[in-house]
Amino acid sequence: MDKPKSNFFAPFKGIKYMIQKPVTIRVPEEEREAQKRYRGFHTNDWEECIGCGTCADICPTDAINMEKVPDYDAPEGEKDERPVIDYGRCCFCGFCVDICTTGSLKMSKDYIYMDEDADTFLYIPDEEGLNKNYPKEGYERNEDTDLLDLERIAMRYTKSKKRKDSFLEYVKGFSKEEAKREAARCVECGICTDRCPAHMDIPEYINTIWDDNLEEGVEWMYETNPLPNICGRVCTHKCEDVCTISHRGEPIAIRWLKRYIVDNAPEDVYEEVVLSNVSKEGEGSIAIIGAGPAGLSAAYYLRTIGYDVDIYEKEELAGGVMRYGIPRYRLPDEAIDKDILFIEKIGVNIHRNTKVGKDIKFSKLREKHDVVFISTGFMEPRHLKIKGSDHPDVVAAMDFLPKVRDFVRDKKQMPEVAEKVVVIGGGDVAYDVGRSVARLQNIKYGKVDVTLTALEKKEDLPAGEDEIQEGKEEGLEIYPASGPVEIIIENDEIKGLKTAECIALFDDKGNFNPKLNKDNTEIHEASQVFISIGQAPNYDYLPDNIKEELEFKGPQIKINEKTHQTSMDWLFAGGDIVNGPDIINGVADGHNAAKAIDDYIRSNK
Amino acid sequence: MEQKKVIEKISNEYGIKKIKFKKIENQQFKVKINKKEIINFLTYLKNIGFWQLSLITAVDWIDNNQFEIVYNLVSWELEQHIIVKTFIPRENPRITSIINIWPVAKYYEWDVNEYFGVVFDGNPNNGKELFLENWDDKPPMRKDFDPLNYSKEKFPEKEYKNFRMKRKREVIE
Amino acid sequence: MKEVKLFHGPNHPGMHGNFSVHLTVDGDTVKKAKPNPGMLHRGFEKLMERRLWMSNIALIPRVCVPEPDINETVYSMAVEKIEELEVPERAKYLRVIILELARIAVHMMSIGGIGGPTGVYTAPNWALNERDMILDIFEKITGHRIYHMYIVPGGVRQDINEEILEFIENTINDIESRLKDYYEIIFESPIIHKRLKGTAPLTKEQALDWGVTGPGLRSTGVKYDVRKKFPYLVYDKLDFDIPIAEESDAYTRLYLKYLEVKQSIKIIRQVLSDIPKGKVRNKLMGTALKWKIKEGEAYGKVESSRGEFGYYIVSTGGRYPYRIQVRGASYPQGLYGIEAGLPGTRLEDVSIWLDTMGVCSPEVDR
Repeated sequence: MDKPKSNFFAPFKGIKYMIQKPVTIRVPEEEREAQKRYRGFHTNDWEECIGCGTCADICPTDAINMEKVPDYDAPEGEKDERPVIDYGRCCFCGFCVDICTTGSLKMSKDYIYMDEDADTFLYIPDEEGLNKNYPKEGYERNEDTDLLDLERIAMRYTKSKKRKDSFLEYVKGFSKEEAKREAARCVECGICTDRCPAHMDIPEYINTIWDDNLEEGVEWMYETNPLPNICGRVCTHKCEDVCTISHRGEPIAIRWLKRYIVDNAPEDVYEEVVLSNVSKEGEGSIAIIGAGPAGLSAAYYLRTIGYDVDIYEKEELAGGVMRYGIPRYRLPDEAIDKDILFIEKIGVNIHRNTKVGKDIKFSKLREKHDVVFISTGFMEPRHLKIKGSDHPDVVAAMDFLPKVRDFVRDKKQMPEVAEKVVVIGGGDVAYDVGRSVARLQNIKYGKVDVTLTALEKKEDLPAGEDEIQEGKEEGLEIYPASGPVEIIIENDEIKGLKTAECIALFDDKGNFNPKLNKDNTEIHEASQVFISIGQAPNYDYLPDNIKEELEFKGPQIKINEKTHQTSMDWLFAGGDIVNGPDIINGVADGHNAAKAIDDYIRSNK
Repeated sequence: MEQKKVIEKISNEYGIKKIKFKKIENQQFKVKINKKEIINFLTYLKNIGFWQLSLITAVDWIDNNQFEIVYNLVSWELEQHIIVKTFIPRENPRITSIINIWPVAKYYEWDVNEYFGVVFDGNPNNGKELFLENWDDKPPMRKDFDPLNYSKEKFPEKEYKNFRMKRKREVIE
Repeated sequence: MKEVKLFHGPNHPGMHGNFSVHLTVDGDTVKKAKPNPGMLHRGFEKLMERRLWMSNIALIPRVCVPEPDINETVYSMAVEKIEELEVPERAKYLRVIILELARIAVHMMSIGGIGGPTGVYTAPNWALNERDMILDIFEKITGHRIYHMYIVPGGVRQDINEEILEFIENTINDIESRLKDYYEIIFESPIIHKRLKGTAPLTKEQALDWGVTGPGLRSTGVKYDVRKKFPYLVYDKLDFDIPIAEESDAYTRLYLKYLEVKQSIKIIRQVLSDIPKGKVRNKLMGTALKWKIKEGEAYGKVESSRGEFGYYIVSTGGRYPYRIQVRGASYPQGLYGIEAGLPGTRLEDVSIWLDTMGVCSPEVDR
């Protein structure tokens, strides 16, 4: 290596810089704008922010805290908290921006702040910025920096060609790998738990999939829902609608993950978990009328406290709407059986084929048990009164669906279906009818001709998105914004359904009162019409004196919301006859009623 | 030299047959060895070209009640990095010092001694202070030491007395 | 004569960082030296065990202030080895750019910094300007000047565009044009010659015994560079030399750094022309809050401006690292080296010794 030689004049060579322009910036006269990607002080759009707290979770320095906003009643899918950043701790890494589920949290180019009061360094980010100068946006999240996984793992379905004439379950369920990938997307914010009517511990059980600990997953589920097999298949998944990931991507498939746990937890583990929950604390006996979601849920939780529980079910099989309403291709009998089996295993007595009022007197129940809980649901069809609706080929959904299930289960006689069918209604039940009819038509005629007419506009259809999409794949045709006017009958035979354009669903006062434009009509050819415009309760099992004493609001029974009691303190009610409208609400209702009944019995001792 | 050949060489030349090597990547592999063998084995490795001691460290396997002592050696001629591990019990942890093979080990061992409480027989600095002056708790890198609790006990938390969370309405207006 | 105990601490103008040496001095000559770290101890290794794999990226740059990127790189490399995670080709080139720019910044600061202990105060001011220009590049690429948090397991956080590439090229051209000035004002300066030549000698045996790596070892004639012997990223595809010297004293060690800056510029030029297109980051499964790394351990190492720098990482397959040990490049010379090598040095040369050996306190004092 040649080393430099010492040179006496070398140090003087620096003098040339005396005549050059300085490279330094004259602060504060001269301002220096930060670079485009600069990670400066935060800004947060309070309108977009939902307070999920994911920023606080990723924060490496614990600088972000979620603080409750005073006097703020957060809407569904939002928490009443907003992030507060401690600039004494923040390291400006920007991970909070990378992971922000809504994209409300951003970073600005602003980087100078001075104050002698240290307290002002605790900053509530908003649009104004720390210096209240609405700073320019700096660092932006992009695809590479994003710390969320926005894409949902696609569920595998049986193709529509294969499933169109089969009542076998067509959703295949996640494999282990798929379930783990899907579970890994969850940020554990818990907004889903708040939204779920039953407040299921969703982040916790999703976590158990990620940690390969399904036993704990089953435990978490039975904390709040004794029907996980059923809900894992047909829940209306309100949780997914509010999932924080859905703000920028696709929501977590919470329902399918739930199904994954119950389908894959080993049988013995499952039994152990469920059976270990039972205590012997409670003393008393409870009668439950109706083995639907609410009844079963109430029975499970009452039994776990230790009470003797008897369920009276008028049908041959327990399950109510789950057994007789929902078609088999969505909810196979095995799933229902499994849930009910465990409820029976912990010691709940289910008296099948026992109609109260006929096979056993209501007064007898009152004598035998301390408390009676009624949860008989909405199992009767609601009738449509238009011209021609009394024709025998006009079939109500709730008359038809049980027959289809019986046909599939026991190979009983196939229900009558015509070659051309119209279904009135655009809800989930209408789709259940339409898709069941389509399957029967495929079996009988080898082709599908089902038309649905719904009052609602296309974007407001009450049916779930999956139903609409899958129905379309199976050949259902839907006519939204069409109100039924008349069923055309010639020579005692149905020729079709006349509908008119529906302009408005509600009147000025906000009451349901569809307004039809009679000038714009359409005729849907059909020789059979199904009506699925809602269900109604049937209270004929209640003695008249009790019916008189009960208070009603419309078709539903009015109860004290806190105590779940009707106007008689020993008579409790829940499920569709009180709240509605779906299974998970029934489960929640049953659970709450169980707690209320427990309180009542204890306080009466 | 290729990793395979290096491993072959070590297995053939060094007396113990049961040594199992595991590849981490092309130039890095690990081996577990009995505590009694450690001096002999490391001396042997130094003689075949693993001249540089990169690092001595420890891992606290609290569930197995063991400490793992890890030696990282590098050979520039063989272009290989070897991780030699040995396990010692967590109660009264002792192991022979290697300062006679590598003088620099004095400080690495001191470091482990201070943070884990492992005693290196032969190292003059056992129990003396290096990084932690006036330390009054259990060795801090042990898994059962909770730094959060420690700092909560020792240091006051900054209080923001004037902080008020604002109301949402103020922003909308 | 009576021996005097001296506390050579951070208050000394020639001392870099919060590090001190307890000296026992006889006259002007050091008789005994004891390194005294601990003033900067922040318990990083413990903190890292309690942070998510991703969150740690924000913590580790602090282990070495002037050259934070090596931390991010070794952490990422070790994690990638355990997880067997592929790094996209473009990201490897981008990492090389960052690492070499950081090397230039540190070496320039080190070359200029010699003005501190020797009193040539023009040089540090100039050198800080060069460093600042490189920090401007960092700000453009990563969004921050000092702690970049740019290199992450699986690649780098953001891609860069043509405009930034051009900016890098202009900047390194600019810096290169001024290298001659440093040559003149430092390496030809009679003061520097007088103070540095023959000062703080280091023999090959000493270097090997202590485990010194980097410019310190190379100045004794050992041609060892992690980039050549354990090629990482794309260093095996790049053409560059490893400057070495035969006789090691403070002057040669400093001059080697100067030659390394030239090599780094050469490397960056090649990268700028060769960099391929493509994606820059492979991510782990799911959201960052749930990232897990497979069970296993690995040691990731790079050639930092002071020598071999590495992280030893143990994972048990969970969301948090089980154990991380930082192997600072200046650990051997900064602790054992001081004890074994500093005695015999004259008191006024102590800071020259520490400066040219490359003792970086935060990486010793993790």
